[in-house]
Amino acid sequence: MNEKKVVEIMHLTKNYGSNGFLTTVLKGIDLEILENDFIAIMGPSGSGKTTLLNLLSTIDKPTQGTILLDGKDITKLSNQELSRLRRDKIGFIFQDYNLLDTMTLQDNIALPLSLNGVLGRECLERTKELARIFGLIEHLEKYPWQLSGGQKQRGAACRALITNPEIIFADEPTGALDSRSSKDLLECLKMVNDSSKATILMVTHDAFSASYAKDVYILNDGLISCKLSRGENRREFYDKIIDMQASMGGDFS
Amino acid sequence: MSMMQLALSNVKSSFKNYVAIIVSLAFTVLVFLNFQNIVCSDIFDGLGGKNKEYINTLIQVISLVLGCFMFFFLWYASNVFLTKRKKEIGIYIFMGLTNQKIARLYVIEIVMIGVLALVTGIVLGVLVTQLFQMILLAISDITVDISFQFAWEPVLITAAVYLIMYVIFAVKGYLNIVRSSVLEMVSAARKNEYVRQNAFFLLVKTVLGVGILIAGYYLAIKEGGQEVMGNVFAAVVLVVVGVYLLFGGFLPVLFQNLAKRKHFLYQKERNLWINQMIFRMKKNYRTYAMTCVLMLCSVTALATGFAMKSRYESMVHFRNTYTYQLLSNQPELAQEISTLIEKDNQIAYSAEAPILLLESDLVSSRFQYSHYAVLSYSDVKRLAASTGLDFELEEPGDDEIIQVSQLHLLSLLTDRSHETVTINGKTYQQIADTSVPYLGYLQEQVTFYLVNDAEYEKMLSLGEVTYTYNYRIEDIYNFAASTDELDTLGDNVQGRITMDPQSSDIAWIKVLYTICIFMFMVFVLASGSILFMKLYNDAFEEKERYLVLKKLGISGKTLKRSVSCELGAAYGMPFVVMAVSSYFSVHALENMMYRSLLEIHLISVAVILAFFLCCYLASVRLYVRNVGIE
Repeated sequence: MNEKKVVEIMHLTKNYGSNGFLTTVLKGIDLEILENDFIAIMGPSGSGKTTLLNLLSTIDKPTQGTILLDGKDITKLSNQELSRLRRDKIGFIFQDYNLLDTMTLQDNIALPLSLNGVLGRECLERTKELARIFGLIEHLEKYPWQLSGGQKQRGAACRALITNPEIIFADEPTGALDSRSSKDLLECLKMVNDSSKATILMVTHDAFSASYAKDVYILNDGLISCKLSRGENRREFYDKIIDMQASMGGDFS
Repeated sequence: MSMMQLALSNVKSSFKNYVAIIVSLAFTVLVFLNFQNIVCSDIFDGLGGKNKEYINTLIQVISLVLGCFMFFFLWYASNVFLTKRKKEIGIYIFMGLTNQKIARLYVIEIVMIGVLALVTGIVLGVLVTQLFQMILLAISDITVDISFQFAWEPVLITAAVYLIMYVIFAVKGYLNIVRSSVLEMVSAARKNEYVRQNAFFLLVKTVLGVGILIAGYYLAIKEGGQEVMGNVFAAVVLVVVGVYLLFGGFLPVLFQNLAKRKHFLYQKERNLWINQMIFRMKKNYRTYAMTCVLMLCSVTALATGFAMKSRYESMVHFRNTYTYQLLSNQPELAQEISTLIEKDNQIAYSAEAPILLLESDLVSSRFQYSHYAVLSYSDVKRLAASTGLDFELEEPGDDEIIQVSQLHLLSLLTDRSHETVTINGKTYQQIADTSVPYLGYLQEQVTFYLVNDAEYEKMLSLGEVTYTYNYRIEDIYNFAASTDELDTLGDNVQGRITMDPQSSDIAWIKVLYTICIFMFMVFVLASGSILFMKLYNDAFEEKERYLVLKKLGISGKTLKRSVSCELGAAYGMPFVVMAVSSYFSVHALENMMYRSLLEIHLISVAVILAFFLCCYLASVRLYVRNVGIE
């Protein structure tokens, strides 16, 4: 297996508020993400999941600690460099899809690549290829409002993948989907991950979604409290996650 | 909290969103007030009789155009306001308010905003009037000096017209809310404005638009006789309709097809802004068309103004060809008259020529005039030689004739070939038409026909020969000095024309010129501002979309480039259509005014381009800020 480190987090701390009313959300997190990993981060409300994702996706800055993304410390980059980093190295999947309603699904998927100055022909090929993997080939000409939630989210996944990013950050990707659509999406994500095409970091509160990952980290009170790894069987892994949730007794929604 | 307080706090809290509406309404008031100021100023006092009639007709036409302009602007503004407020207002429904109460709240708010806009518009209007006046004075030496004193009359007229229209739309909005359902109100703001339009339908629209536009262009420049007036009128209607269809049909077709060509689309920022254009097209094409028509009006207005100016100057020049013109039935008076004039004045040049006056019932031509006279070729040639006027006419054949006419301000008769004139039963082919002032002011009173010497001899028996003695003095302003000497000629002279160079019976042309330039400024300002306001408004609706794009990691620079392209297209398309269309409208004007207007055409297009460029740059800046890219 390839041992290239995509993300390396060291002693990551994040405080909110000022002196006297200081809230420490992340209390020193260490985490390594290797190429072709599929990681799910779970945790009860207020455990710092979203904060962690915001820090990783360069939307927010940490109080202490370093985040190395592809060898670069993203806490020390200028705005312009950050923007380029987001464009070239990171793909995003959001809970609410965030597809542009002004354009067709095909144009939505191709957008990041075409804005990067890649040739039209290549954009088209990549779009078609991803659409085939995600089962969207018949829907390319449709506009977002003509698509179901699941189709939209798979489209968003295609858009995140099209630039061949180092890592995909998925924030509750199944949060707005029914179980059937969730399953479709997760199968697709698992497939691209298995065929060594993507490294994925997913934040979720849903044990079913998390069971598709290779590793699940449970975040609790600003610290990673445990790590579960999947064996061969996803069903067993799912049970393990449920057991863990039950033993922690927290509210995972 | 009372209804009033609630409305006031609503207006206060969302004031920023309504700035655009307030400014655009204030702007309409400003334009209307400016025009009323001209109407109510003393500018027309010096005009009498027919001039006043001309001007009054003109004022009524322009008032109507401006009234329509105001009406549509108010309509547009109130619609925007209604959709914006509906969703917020819908929330009150959940608080248990009835539709009637909510509608009343809406009316109070819209009245507050309307009054605010009215006051702003009047204050700005008074200031801008002064500014325009200064510009007018600076750019022209022949504009009428209009003293715009602050007067209540135009303000009251403007306020009255505005308020009447405003009340109509307030009532319309009130009824709309009273009759609408909760669901409709809550979802009003969420309406997806995009509908990809049926390609066939669009194609029909395009073909129709292009066809109508070409027909309009053709009619505008088609030379003809009396039907030209009708043609020009039809051309105006056809071009306006054609422009609307073109923007409503051709542009969506064009952009939708571009969006289908993915190899083309997936380059640079095209994917973003072309899709954005298509998305907005259905709502925006009217604005583009309106802008285009307004610009077309402005170019035509300026060209008309300058053509008028040039025509006015030539007419003054034409009339002052001779200072004195004496008519007598006696030949050989030239020396005697010269001596009389030279007692008080220097003669610059003089010329004499016999003319053969004909009874008007002997002559029949397309237009029947009251006085006709015939000139012989060699007499005119001699006259031209002694006065130094151009003479490039070929001697007409035995059945040919040349009309020597006055200088018209404009002529609707743009095709002058194939005209025939019948004199005493013999038909002559009119081979040319000259407006060289061989006989000066007389040409404005009498219709002259030039024939060859042999024909002239034959016609002598038909009428009476009168000798004209024409003099131009060095100091034309000293014309009065010699009148007493000329009076001594007594019965030897049957008629005398004395030209006062400051004669004012064509002064109304100057007024027209001033109004044309004023209209140019108003129309240019209007077209730029409408587009500017539209795009300013759009920016707020795009905020969410740009937020998503930022989240996806797309850099501000890229987004800014995309915005630049999109707004560039919004400003560029109406401009291009205007540039093409104005060629035809100005060409039509050239035909009527006998003057090349290319220079003025290019200048006015350049002025608009410069103004649009400023609007464009400001729009991009504001847009980028309002959608939150920076």
